[in-house]
Amino acid sequence: MTSSADAADDRGRAFRELVEPEIEVMLRVARTMTASDADAEDLVQESLLRAYKGLSRFDGRHPRAWLLTILRNTNANMHRRQRPVLVDDTQLHRESRPAFGAAERPSAEQSFLDEELDEELHAAVAALDARFRSALILVDVHDLSYAEAAAVLDVPVGTVMSRLSRARERLRRTLGPTRLSRGGLS
Amino acid sequence: MSGTVRMMMTCHWSARRIQRYLDADPSAPLTPGEVARLEAHLAVCERCGPMVAEHRALHRALSLWSGRPYVDPAAVDRVRTFLDELTDGRAS
Ligand SMILES: [Zn+2]
Repeated sequence: MTSSADAADDRGRAFRELVEPEIEVMLRVARTMTASDADAEDLVQESLLRAYKGLSRFDGRHPRAWLLTILRNTNANMHRRQRPVLVDDTQLHRESRPAFGAAERPSAEQSFLDEELDEELHAAVAALDARFRSALILVDVHDLSYAEAAAVLDVPVGTVMSRLSRARERLRRTLGPTRLSRGGLS
Repeated sequence: MSGTVRMMMTCHWSARRIQRYLDADPSAPLTPGEVARLEAHLAVCERCGPMVAEHRALHRALSLWSGRPYVDPAAVDRVRTFLDELTDGRAS
């Protein structure tokens, strides 16, 4: 093996180590940008291709934010015109009950919401202004940091924080204290 | 300044920091002094204390919510295979 092949090998390994832990979150976020699971997968693959080509320009910090920025740009390019808002209504269509992915949930013993609260949450989230909703989905549902959500939305961190705060306040008021304190949620 | 007014001012001060307190996000940390002041207020304020509990419950509800997009583990595997092919192609 020549030394340039060694270098390519190292580069490939470094990239794999960077990306592997982020595949799932990339797919989830991609799913909020696209209309179908298949589109989300295409978007992630195309983004990885671009990320690999641009690896030398990555400073090594915050790989998730870097990958999500590429995801956002790739999505914009693939659709020519940038979508004005992320997280459209297709994302709010009822999906199958979350029987999987339990490991990521905060508590194994309570992995389902009370059905009534679940419905109310659907209605309340759907009623949010789209800009507020996307901030909420990215941070509270996808567990992104403020900076990562800012990378996806292409807005400053302060904007994510104010949208998030308004979204949460609206939901809290809509659901009300009784709803939120019942069901051992707190 | 009356106790009520002072309490209201603290509520206002607290309201502006509660989200950052709950998220503890590296982009917008509170100082230890702010955390201490906030926690002291939450412990005694009958407005802000329950509000924080509601925000915690809301966050938890959202993490359990069925609207959370489900990612098929098979899709993760396919992307991983794609990643392997992408990065192996050049080395061999
Ligand atoms: Zn207060």
